[in-house]
Amino acid sequence: MLDLKLLRDLRNMKGQMTAVVLVMACGLTMMIMARGLVVTLETTERNYYTSSRFADLFCDLKRAPRFVETRLGEISGVAALETSVKGTVVLDLPGMKQPADGVIHSLPDGRPRRLNRLVLKAGRLPGTDSRDEVVVSAGFADAHGFRPGDPLDFTVYGVRRRFRIVGVAVSPEYVYETRPGEMLPDPRRFAVLWMGERELSRALDLDGAFNSVAFRLAPGADPENIKAAVDRILEPYGGLSSYGRTRHPSAKLLRDEITQLRGFSIAFPAVFLSIAAFMVSAVLTRLVRLQREQIAQMKAFGYSPFAVGFHYVKFALVAVGVATLLSATLGMWAGSAFVSLYRRFFQFPSLQFVPDWRALAAALGASALTSVLGVLGAVRQAASLPPAEAMRPEAPARFTPTFLERIGLHGLVPPSFRMALRNMERKPWQALFTAVGLAFATAIPILPGVMGDGVDYLVDFQWNRAQRQDAVVSLIEPGDNGAFLSLSRLPGVLFAEPFRAVPVRLLHGHRQWETAITGLPASPRLNRLLDEREREVPLPSFGLLLSEKLAELLHLVPGDEVRVEVREGRRPVLHTVVSGTIMDFSGVSAYMEIDALRRLLGEGDTVNGAYLKVDPFYWDAFWKRVKGIPRIGTVTTTSGAKENFSRTTEEMMGTSQALYFVFAVIVSFGVIYNGARIALSERARDLATLRVLGFTRREVATILVLELALLTALSIAPGLYLGARLSEAVLATANTETMRFPLVLTTRTYVVAVLTVLASSFFSFAVVGRRVARLDLQAVLKSAE
Amino acid sequence: MTTASSPPLYRARGITKVYFPGEEMEVRALDGVDLDLHEGELAVLLGASGSGKSTLLNILGGLDVPTGGTLFYRDRDLTDADERDLTLFRRDVAGFVFQFYNLIPSLTARENVALITEIAPNPMPPEEALGLVGLADRMDAFPSQLSGGQQQRVAVARAIAKRPEVLLCDEPTGALDVNTGITVLEALERVNRELGTLVVLITHNAAIAAMADRVISLSAGRIVSVAPNATRVPARSLSW
Repeated sequence: MLDLKLLRDLRNMKGQMTAVVLVMACGLTMMIMARGLVVTLETTERNYYTSSRFADLFCDLKRAPRFVETRLGEISGVAALETSVKGTVVLDLPGMKQPADGVIHSLPDGRPRRLNRLVLKAGRLPGTDSRDEVVVSAGFADAHGFRPGDPLDFTVYGVRRRFRIVGVAVSPEYVYETRPGEMLPDPRRFAVLWMGERELSRALDLDGAFNSVAFRLAPGADPENIKAAVDRILEPYGGLSSYGRTRHPSAKLLRDEITQLRGFSIAFPAVFLSIAAFMVSAVLTRLVRLQREQIAQMKAFGYSPFAVGFHYVKFALVAVGVATLLSATLGMWAGSAFVSLYRRFFQFPSLQFVPDWRALAAALGASALTSVLGVLGAVRQAASLPPAEAMRPEAPARFTPTFLERIGLHGLVPPSFRMALRNMERKPWQALFTAVGLAFATAIPILPGVMGDGVDYLVDFQWNRAQRQDAVVSLIEPGDNGAFLSLSRLPGVLFAEPFRAVPVRLLHGHRQWETAITGLPASPRLNRLLDEREREVPLPSFGLLLSEKLAELLHLVPGDEVRVEVREGRRPVLHTVVSGTIMDFSGVSAYMEIDALRRLLGEGDTVNGAYLKVDPFYWDAFWKRVKGIPRIGTVTTTSGAKENFSRTTEEMMGTSQALYFVFAVIVSFGVIYNGARIALSERARDLATLRVLGFTRREVATILVLELALLTALSIAPGLYLGARLSEAVLATANTETMRFPLVLTTRTYVVAVLTVLASSFFSFAVVGRRVARLDLQAVLKSAE
Repeated sequence: MTTASSPPLYRARGITKVYFPGEEMEVRALDGVDLDLHEGELAVLLGASGSGKSTLLNILGGLDVPTGGTLFYRDRDLTDADERDLTLFRRDVAGFVFQFYNLIPSLTARENVALITEIAPNPMPPEEALGLVGLADRMDAFPSQLSGGQQQRVAVARAIAKRPEVLLCDEPTGALDVNTGITVLEALERVNRELGTLVVLITHNAAIAAMADRVISLSAGRIVSVAPNATRVPARSLSW
C-alpha cells in the first residue's frame, strides 16, 4: 500500500523528479560514456598490442650491418627483436598538385614479422621477391579511396617509380597515424607504406644493413638497463636514443587520450551527482515536511520508523533507477558516437564500443549512495517524528532580522527583498547549494567557449604570428649552401630561410629529454620565435632557446646550464646555457643560432631544408618543380597544416562542445526549476494570501522567484571564476609535451555562459510562474498552516 | 449605523453559486441570495457550517464569481468580472482578515503592513494602522514573536492600512480565546466607526451578532433572516 502512495506522490511531483533525474542522468551519462570509452580503448589497445606483438622498445639509427642484430639479441632481457629498414617517400597523388609525403617500412621477405605485425584490411602482403608491390595504411587509403590493384607513384631515396598497391593494412605502430613530430593525423597528405625488405633496402641503399630496430622484452626485464645496452651497442652506428612505449608517438597519444577520459569519467560525474544529491535532498525534505500528518498516521497505524524511513528512501531510489536507465541508453549512444569519431583518428583492426558494465554498476551505486546521503536528514526526521507531534502542524517559522538589517541597512531594500534575504539567511545551506549548482551551471558553458577560442588563438598564433612561411621543404640528406640556394630559386620563392636540425639529448641533473635542436638565423623572418606575449625572441649567439614546456619538463630556467649530447655525426657534447624560453603549442623544441650550431657540429654551411615565402601566383610551377627534385624529402604548406588542424579539432571538439552545452542547460534549468518548485510549495500559502490581498499574478510570481533570481545573480561572478578554473584544469589534463591548448578567456565566452544560465533561469521561472495562476485563493482563507 | 437612504455599496440579486453543475454531486452553495450592504455598516453573516456564508463572502470579496444572478459594487459589475478586474477590486476596494491571520512569517508586523501599503493608491502609514489596532509598541516583532490575538490585530492593520471601503472578515476570532477575540473585535469596531468602513464579518458564534447593525442568517444557501439590532453592543461587553 505504501508503494501505491509512493507512485501517486511521484506522479504529483513529476516535474521536480524529472529535473532531478535529468541532472543525475547528465553525470551518469558522462560516466557511462567515458568509462565505456576507457574500457573500449584499453581493451582494444591491449588485444591489438598483444595479437600484433607490438614492441616494448624502439630505436632508430643511421645504418648498422646485419650482424649487429646478433649482439642486440644477446642483451639479457630481450625476448624478441626485429630489425628493419625505413625511409621517407614523396608521393605524387592523382588530383593533388601538392605532393604528399610518408614513411616506408620494410617487411621481412618470406616470413611474417616477429614484432609490430600488420593486420590486413584488404588484399595481401607483398610476395617474396616481389617487385613494386606495396601495402598502404588504412587511414591514407580511406582518405584517397585506394584499393588493392591501384597504382601509386612515389619517390623513394631520390628515385621516382610506379608501384602497385597489393594490400591495405593497419599497424600497432600507427594507431595514431601522424607525420613524425606532428600532433594530428593528416591522411590526405601523409602516408605509411610497407614493402619487401630486399627491395626497400636496395632502394634506400641499405643492402645488408638496418636502420630501425624494435624489441620485445622478457617479463620482469629492466627496460632501463636494456635501453642503455642498446644505446651502447648502436652508438657507433649512428643510433639515436632508444625509447619505450611511453615515448612512442602513437602509443603515447593513445595513452594520453585514455588518461584524459579516465579523469573526465570521475570529475564530471562527481560534480553532477553532488548537485543531484542536493536536489533530491531538498525535494524530499520538503515532502517530509508536507507529509507530517501522513507520517504520524502511518506510525499510529503501526508502521515502524524503518518502514517509514525506507518509504522515503525509495523516492530517491526510484530517481536513481530511472536516471540509470536513461543514462545507460544515452551513455551507450554517446559512447558509440564517440567511437565512430575515434575510428577516424585511431586506426585499429576494428573498434567497437564496449559498455563497461562494472561502471554501470558503479554508477548505480554512486548515485544511489549520494542521493541516499542527500535524503538521510529528511528520512531521519520522518522516522524519528513521534506520532502525536507529527499530528500537530509544524511550529511557525522563526525569522530574525538579517545581517544587513542588523548593521542598519534595512531601509535600503523593500519588504519583498527582505523576504528573500531572510529566507536565504534562515536556510543558508539550501541557499548555498542552490548557488553552487547555479555557479556550476554558469561555469560549464565556459568550457566549450574556451576550447573554441583556444583553437582560434592557437591557429592565429602558430600560423599568422609565429610562422610566416608558406612552405617548409626538407631535404632527404643534409645539403650545403648550394642546396639552399637551389631551394631559394624554386619558382615563385620570394624569400628563403635556411634551417639546420640535429637530434640531441638534453640533460639537466638527472632529467633528460630527446629532441632536436633547430638552427635558425639570429632574427628569423619566417619561422619566428615568440614569447607568451607574442614578442619576438631573437636567437643569441651563445645558448639555447627552449619551448616553455621543455624548460618545465627539464626543470630549467633561463640562465641554467644544460648539457647537450648531439646524436649524429661525430656526436659532440656541449655545455651551454638556456638563454630564454619561447611559446609554442605542439611538440617541444630547442633552438640555436644556425652558425653557432654549425660551429658546434664542426661543419660549414649545412642545411636540412628551408622555410619559403612563395608568390601565390606561382604555386603550380612551384609544385611541378618540387616534384621533379629527388633530394626533397617532405614539403608541407602552412595553409594545409592550418586547414587540417582546424578541420580535425573541429571534428574532435564539436561533439564535446555540444555535450557540455546541453549539460549546462540541464543543470541550470534543473537547479532553478527545482528551487522554484520548492519555494512555491513552501510559500504557497503566503503567495495565495498576497493574491487575495490584491497582488497581481505577476507581482506574486516576482516575489516567488526573487530569492532565486538573487541567488542566480550572486552565483554568476563565482560561476565565471569557477568556469575559468575548471577550464584551466581541463586544459591542464590535455597539456602534454605533444600538445598544449592556451587558456583564452574572451568576453564572448563569458557572455554566452551568463546568457545560457539566464535563459534557462527565465525559462524555469516562466514555467513555475504559470503555477501561480493555479494557487487556491479560497482555501487559504480557511486553512491553518 | 445603517444608511439605508443612500445607495448601497453592494447590490446582490438572485445570486446562485453551483459547484459541479449538471453532475451527480452538484452542490448549490448559494441559491438565490438578494442582499444590499451599505457604507459604514457592520454586518454579521451567521450560519452553520455549509450554510453558504463563506461562498457569499468569497463572491463579495472578488475571489469568485456567481454562477447566476447579478452583483454590483457601486457601479462595478462583479457578476462576470475577469481575473484582472477581480484582482484590481481586491487591491483597491476590499480588505481581508482571515481566520488564521495569514501573515508573512519572514516579515515583521510593520513590514507585513508595508507590503500592502506599497501597492495601494492612498494608504495610511503602516505605523498609523498598527496604532489603530493597539500595536504601536510591537511593530518590529516577527509573527512568531506575537500572540495569536496580536497576530490577528496585525492582520487587521494590514487590511485597513490601504483605507479599504469594505473589510471582509472570515471567522476572525475563530482561532482565539474570548479575551483575545474581543481585542480583535474592538479593533474592527474602531475601524468601522472611525473610518466608516463597511465591515462584513462571518461567524458561527451568535454572541458576536450583538455588535452588528444587521445580522444576516444563512441556511442551505439562502438568507433566512435579516435582523437589524436596535442598538449595537460594544465589543468589549460581549462574552461567550
